[in-house]
Amino acid sequence: MSMTTPSVGSQTPRAEWGRVRASRRTADKAMKLIATGFTFLAIFVLFWILGMLIVKGVGGLSLATFTQVTPGPGSEGGGLANAIVGSIVLTFLGIVVATPIGVLAGTYLAEYGKGSQLANLIRFINDILLSAPSILIGLFVYVILVEPFRGYSGWAGGVALGIIAIPVIVRTTEDMLRLVPGPLREAGAALGAPPSVVITSVTWRAAKSGMVTGILLALARIAGETAPLIFTALNNNFWFSPTLSGGVSNLPVTIYQFASAPYENWQQLAWAGSLIITVSILLLSLIARRIVRGSK
Amino acid sequence: MLSTLELSPQTLDAEAPVRIAVKNLDFYYGEHKALKNINLDFRDRHVTALIGPSGCGKSTLLRVFNRIYSLYPEQRATGEVILDGRNVISNDVDVNELRSRIGMVFQKPTPFPMSIYDNVAFGIRLNEKPPKSELDDRVEGALRRSALWDEVKDKLRMSGMGLSGGQQQRLCIARTIAQKPEVILFDEPTSALDPISTGKIEDLLEQLKTDFTIVIVTHNMQQAARISQYTAFMYLGEVIEFAPTNTIFMNPHKKQTQDYVTGRFG
Repeated sequence: MSMTTPSVGSQTPRAEWGRVRASRRTADKAMKLIATGFTFLAIFVLFWILGMLIVKGVGGLSLATFTQVTPGPGSEGGGLANAIVGSIVLTFLGIVVATPIGVLAGTYLAEYGKGSQLANLIRFINDILLSAPSILIGLFVYVILVEPFRGYSGWAGGVALGIIAIPVIVRTTEDMLRLVPGPLREAGAALGAPPSVVITSVTWRAAKSGMVTGILLALARIAGETAPLIFTALNNNFWFSPTLSGGVSNLPVTIYQFASAPYENWQQLAWAGSLIITVSILLLSLIARRIVRGSK
Repeated sequence: MLSTLELSPQTLDAEAPVRIAVKNLDFYYGEHKALKNINLDFRDRHVTALIGPSGCGKSTLLRVFNRIYSLYPEQRATGEVILDGRNVISNDVDVNELRSRIGMVFQKPTPFPMSIYDNVAFGIRLNEKPPKSELDDRVEGALRRSALWDEVKDKLRMSGMGLSGGQQQRLCIARTIAQKPEVILFDEPTSALDPISTGKIEDLLEQLKTDFTIVIVTHNMQQAARISQYTAFMYLGEVIEFAPTNTIFMNPHKKQTQDYVTGRFG
């Protein structure tokens, strides 16, 4: 170095070294240790659950699980075919109900309502709905769709799941649309496109992957819901009616019933069903993440 | 006065008709008055530059012409902006029709998330349903006109977002001219671009003024000097001086203008 550095030794110190107390350094280290420790605890519990699910669930999985219907009390063997198909139908129904409502409401909040009082109120109510206990929604649908028609049905189950999915989709749609830069909307408007055209062919397109991800996450959320189905689709130990009237078999309620039953094959199937739901949700989440990453 | 500024020998037709006439225009952001009694004439097929320090109201003025400000409820304008005999800021002019007559190119390129072809066809499809062959021709024509055709002719189906910044900006210009507007507004169109892309856009502006009336907001005084025939210098929401560009840069009448163009403030 050719630069002349000021001589260090001769300088009078501005302040004495050692101002930071040793106890503060110790506290700092302790904080890091505790935070790391509890993180491991949380992850440990998660892996414990997954591990138990795999160990107990894989044992119950066989070809019969996917081809045979749920066994009656005391009968041997059996599978989950009707419950798996029922769950897919109900979840699909829920998403079909929730997607248009959720996407359009989210669009209202992000595009039309923006700073208005009404939009703020709707957003507040949506947040409450987002954290509403799902059993309450099951009871609500029981009152409006089961009691008046004197019977459980897959339609009621689909509506209940849909109501749970709506606030998730509203929220993600609004968040994703807000990420679309304002100048893009202005550019659409500047070409003479009315707001409806700007929204459908510019803004939605720009936010597409995020919105699809939100719908997939809502799908994952309702796929494992039990409480809203107990009062609506109930369950069915046989193939359900194609018109979806009467009880519709589904995995969550089957797990609930089979896990608490004294029959060993029922308990086995409950574990297998739990594994199937968990793996499905995991796959959905992975697909959602892949979509988000693909869009970047 | 300014030997460093290269003033292009701009041909200026003082007889050219007025395309946009601004009369007694005031503009408000809520309570804040951002434009004060603006009176300006924009000549047909000429380039008029709006210059001035940040916050002087030049972009605000530009955003009045196509009423893009009306997207925001708290913004309002009073006065007259006459285009083809009608006051475009009055509510009886259809805003979407107005915007198909007055195009706008923004500071940051704003390609839509769709193919290059669909980007250019977007504005055409809004108001017309031309047969495929005619649409193809108009898309090609607009891309040629914006000096982008040779670079994209083999990838018209690819996303417009995949182009470079300068190409994206030329795509936005193609999208605007495809609609055949009378006036094109440029809001600092090169401030986000590198010097080479900036040069291409400036060359393009030179070409475009044979067909379009151009209003450009720019922070770059050399740019204003190079490409415009008329320049308005604005300060604190008012037009301080409006004159042929050569006058503004070589022989301004107001001291404030002189201070600004010589870089003494701003």
